[in-house]
Amino acid sequence: MSEVDFRPFAHLSAPNAELYRRIMGSFVRAKLRFIVHLRPEDVHEVIGGDLPSIVDALSRLVDWGNLRADPDTSRVTTVEDFHRARFLYQLTHAGEAAEQALASYDEALGRRGALQAVALTDIATQLRALLELVHQDDPDPAKVHLSLRSLVDRFTDLADNAQAFMSSLQRTIDLHDADLDAFRAYKDRLIDYLERFIKDLVATGGEIAALVGDIEEVGVARLLDVAAEREAADAAPGVGEDGDDPRQVEFERGRLRWQDRWRGFRGWFVSEPQHPSQAKLLRARARTAIPQLLQVVATLNERRAGRSDRSADFRSLARWFAQAPREEDMHRLWRAAFGLSPSRHLVAENDEADNPVPANTPWAQAPPLEISPRLRKTGSYERRGKPNRVVDRSAQRQYLAEFAAKEAAETAAARRALVTEHPTRLTDLGELDPAAFRLFLHLLGDALAARAPGQRTVMTTTTDGTMTIRLTSLDDGRKAEIHTPQGVFRGPDHLVEIIDLTVEEHVEQSA
Amino acid sequence: MSALGDAMSASRSDEIRRAARALLRRPLLRATDPAFVLIRRYAPELREWFDRNTGWRLHIDSEVARLVKQPADTTDTTHPARDVRSKQPFGRRRYVLTCLALAALERADAQITLGRLAEQVVLGAADPELVTAGVEFTLSSRAERSDLATVVRLLLDLGVLTRVAGDEEAFVKDTGDALYDVRRRVLSALLAAPRGPSTVTAEGFEDRLAALLYEIPPTTDDLRNQRIRHRLTRRLLDGPVLYYEGLDDAERAYLTSQRAAITTRITELTGLVAEARAEGIAMVDPFDDLTDVRMPESGTEGHATLLLAEHLAQHPNRALSLEELHRYLRRKADEHRTYWRRNATDPGAEVELTENALGRLEALRLVDRADGFVTALPALSRYALADPTLQEAK
Repeated sequence: MSEVDFRPFAHLSAPNAELYRRIMGSFVRAKLRFIVHLRPEDVHEVIGGDLPSIVDALSRLVDWGNLRADPDTSRVTTVEDFHRARFLYQLTHAGEAAEQALASYDEALGRRGALQAVALTDIATQLRALLELVHQDDPDPAKVHLSLRSLVDRFTDLADNAQAFMSSLQRTIDLHDADLDAFRAYKDRLIDYLERFIKDLVATGGEIAALVGDIEEVGVARLLDVAAEREAADAAPGVGEDGDDPRQVEFERGRLRWQDRWRGFRGWFVSEPQHPSQAKLLRARARTAIPQLLQVVATLNERRAGRSDRSADFRSLARWFAQAPREEDMHRLWRAAFGLSPSRHLVAENDEADNPVPANTPWAQAPPLEISPRLRKTGSYERRGKPNRVVDRSAQRQYLAEFAAKEAAETAAARRALVTEHPTRLTDLGELDPAAFRLFLHLLGDALAARAPGQRTVMTTTTDGTMTIRLTSLDDGRKAEIHTPQGVFRGPDHLVEIIDLTVEEHVEQSA
Repeated sequence: MSALGDAMSASRSDEIRRAARALLRRPLLRATDPAFVLIRRYAPELREWFDRNTGWRLHIDSEVARLVKQPADTTDTTHPARDVRSKQPFGRRRYVLTCLALAALERADAQITLGRLAEQVVLGAADPELVTAGVEFTLSSRAERSDLATVVRLLLDLGVLTRVAGDEEAFVKDTGDALYDVRRRVLSALLAAPRGPSTVTAEGFEDRLAALLYEIPPTTDDLRNQRIRHRLTRRLLDGPVLYYEGLDDAERAYLTSQRAAITTRITELTGLVAEARAEGIAMVDPFDDLTDVRMPESGTEGHATLLLAEHLAQHPNRALSLEELHRYLRRKADEHRTYWRRNATDPGAEVELTENALGRLEALRLVDRADGFVTALPALSRYALADPTLQEAK
């Protein structure tokens, strides 16, 4: 095939495109009124302007193939007209097709996506009619077909519009540099509209879903067959050569097509477990659109609320910095405009409270700062300020060590003094020095405290586990006396055995 | 019971002091700062104190604490913005870029990449007034990219941006990009001037600066006194030394009668101690951390500063020429060769060393510089060599 000739579209990119389109528009409108031929004067009358340039434009359009020119043989009334080449113009097929294409192009671009609440009502009405037909034993094929056809038409419209609506909604929300007032006016209408539509979609959508269910329950397949059959009868003429009944073939094809359509339609309004219906999705989408819109409004408001002013402030400051006479001035400006500089202070090491200096003393006469000689000499010191002196505690530590050793020696001596090789009478302990006596009293106390009433012999180990004492009362009425430098200890005599557990052989013996 | 009460109020005033010092050290604090909790807890007390004594506003929300510090002294040139890494003061292009970046961020979404920010800044730099002023930024050279990265690092440090991915170094090398979150609240707390610069129509630099900080003149005596109190407290609280010489008559009269009251209030809040002398007052810091310039400081620069201070303090009434100081530090560098940084003792290094030391002394209001001559200010005597004192061992 030869290339498609697109010359009839050439006028769109030519200079004066607007004039060409207006001229073509006048031909299209004339055709709607069943007027075929137009003279240049007629065109001039419709679109106005300048006749010679219209004549020019017409002949260019003839060149491109949009128009056809036929000699004009009508009577003239002036000499000039007679001498001028006169033509009647009419649309060519190509020109007409181009105009149609342009018209649908304009329409598609100009269409604001809209949701049609009316379509929903229409669909519900058609479905009610179908429900009635499906209940009849022998429905009229023409009625069934017509109902299904108009259902499909309405539905196609609705689906197309919904798609356009969704994308235009997104455009609205995405808009960055929106014209503020236009946006606000549009926003109010849009929100109204969305609200109304959501309401309709909920109410009518529900009814439609119910109707679809009812029809399917009775048997939608029969209706679809009827429609397919009727279409097949329309489409195919007679029996084909290969013996197949083309009507049967067409019928099968039509049936599948109708079943598809129904499924699509069904999917729009009836939700399946995993597949939310289109209507539901649309509803959700429309609902989320409202908060999104509000967000755009908030953003716009924020943009207005002083933000641009601060931006202008910073731009002014940039100019000021650029025009500042000297670098030092810039530092001044920085501090004044931003106020971010930290406070700055001298160090105090002299304690003013301890050594008050009268306030009328000049600095030169006041004592200067004490600066570590090491810092003055080397430029570094281990740490800022005076180092804390570490207190030397070795003397005390030594004293404590000696004290502990002495005490240990005394205790050991006392132990040795007390330890008895075998049971001994208290009387025989004789004289004890104070340390040994203190230890003895301690042991005796432990033993007496451990003795239950009526018990004659008791054996106990000291709480620190170093000594064991066995004490047996004698009941012979004798008094024991133990002499110490502080005095004499008297009491009933007892038989006593004291074992030092810290000494190895005793541990072995007792083990 | 009262011992417990004392202990509690002591810890309370201790906490308020820590909060106040944190704010003075960093007037813009993010919620991630350890001191933020304390600042929030004592917000009413702090706000009241700053409002009454300095007229500084304290703004606190869930993300940021901001003490809106207006400087006490607009002639002070020693508080530049600094490179977070090298500590070098900003130059003209970096300042301009900072402002352009902030203007772009102000209009940006919640996230931005360094590349996108750079595009916006390039657009902003095309402003004819900037071009006329000689500022050029086309992102064509590595130096320009590096300038922008430095600016971004400052914004990261301030908390205006937080890094999500990538790093600036890759951008400088042109091998990658970085992604940031924009902290809008921090951004909105950045400007401290009472007036928006875009509303100022003045043309000259000084007029602009004055207009930026303009405060409506007081109408009553009470208000006038309050203003004076604010000014004096600001200077004492924010700066190292206040010399009586720099005050006007009204301020001097007010300070003479109210010195103890003002300094006591500062001491109560911050722990700074007043060192009152014949020539002025310094609020000195016993804790030695409420400053950005330390003196004395260890290290070569710190040591050089100390030696120079000592030298200048011996000549309190004479302006010393820069050459003289160079020679002095040259000698000292030779003396301290063993202790100093190696390249600090190279010939010619004393010029930079002197410059650095004088910068520090000037920042601390200890010296005055003019036309190549340096004069010691009275408080420099603090660093004079002390007579040796013998301390008895305790």
